[in-house]
Amino acid sequence: MHISEGVLSPAVLAGGAALAVIGTAIGLKKMDYEAIPRVAILSAGFFVATLIHVPVGPVGEHLVLNGLMGLLLGWMAVPAILIALFLQALLFQFGGLTALGVNTVTMAAPAVICFYLFRPWLRRESYAAAIGAFACGATAILLSGLLVAAALISTGKAFLEVAELVLIAHIPIMIIEGVITLFIFQFIKKVRPEMLEGVYA
Amino acid sequence: MPKLSWSRYLPAYWIQGVVLILTIGVFPSNALAHRVLIYAYAEGDTIYTESKFVPDSPVRQGKILVMDKKTGSTLLTGQTDDEGKFAFKIPVEAVAEKLDLGIVVDAGMGHRGEWLLKADSYLAGAQPAAAPKPTPADVSTAPGTKAGPVDPQVLEALLNRALERQLGPINEKLTELTIHRTTPTDIIGGIGYILGIFGLAAYFLSKKKPKP
Repeated sequence: MHISEGVLSPAVLAGGAALAVIGTAIGLKKMDYEAIPRVAILSAGFFVATLIHVPVGPVGEHLVLNGLMGLLLGWMAVPAILIALFLQALLFQFGGLTALGVNTVTMAAPAVICFYLFRPWLRRESYAAAIGAFACGATAILLSGLLVAAALISTGKAFLEVAELVLIAHIPIMIIEGVITLFIFQFIKKVRPEMLEGVYA
Repeated sequence: MPKLSWSRYLPAYWIQGVVLILTIGVFPSNALAHRVLIYAYAEGDTIYTESKFVPDSPVRQGKILVMDKKTGSTLLTGQTDDEGKFAFKIPVEAVAEKLDLGIVVDAGMGHRGEWLLKADSYLAGAQPAAAPKPTPADVSTAPGTKAGPVDPQVLEALLNRALERQLGPINEKLTELTIHRTTPTDIIGGIGYILGIFGLAAYFLSKKKPKP
């Protein structure tokens, strides 16, 4: 999921950085005092989840949890993801500083999109909400995969090769993320429903 | 629904936290995303490369690109085998112009690793091979005759070969050691940074709020 340094063309890198800046600005604008602990926890959760490596698919994948972040944070997922990715680039050389903008967009944009896409479902009762949560987690990964593919293709990689790889690699992780998002959503709904204020707002 | 108190749910959070830390602590090898690593060393006139996802799974069918570090022009390309290995003869132009080689592996989906092989580290082996033929002939005649003056060039070539053979594994080990592995300490440090950054944000926001 993390695109390394030196892979993408400068135009794609600059575009990604610009989008990341805009998204971060909107996210920060929406972040009020009460939201800060929530953003911090999810940023830390994302930081750890994207480090843990699950050996499935051709290269092995890691959790991203961006669907869950979108669900709980909306636009605030952008600064949360940016900070986690920045630290990963700095501490572990995952991704890299020049690719930071693109990586932020590929993981944060699906979070925001899924938030608006699945909010109507999540507001409903029991089953609809559960299905919405699962779909939110799974779709976010799918969109991330597609964005990674788009970034690579716009830099001139062969379309079929990339698309195939992305699909194969992301199907298992989509299901896993869907289930995790579903369970965490149900858990929070019971235990700390006020964390879901973004959904019901 | 009865009002639920804070303390009732504290244990649940604690258990989750403990499980998380245990997962990271007990399986440190799992606590890694995929950074791609490639390293290369020369032995004689061949350069051997090995590519893997950190910590230890080979890059299968990854594309290898060998380029001149200075100009960025590609000298040759190849593909790794199922063990992530790829070997190639040192290109003639690289030897002639003493090029520093940038060896890049593209493992797909934006995963990329690079290794810099300085000219000094492979020229030693390459030069005798590029040198004119007569030297081996000298070797065959030299032992027959008395222990006269040994051709220094031949001696150097032999020494180089022996040294490479013996130092190869050590080189590999050294390369392994230079890899920065993600440790639980790093991860916990990272979490600390995140909480610190947001703590700072909370501090400034809390200063601003009560004024008006």
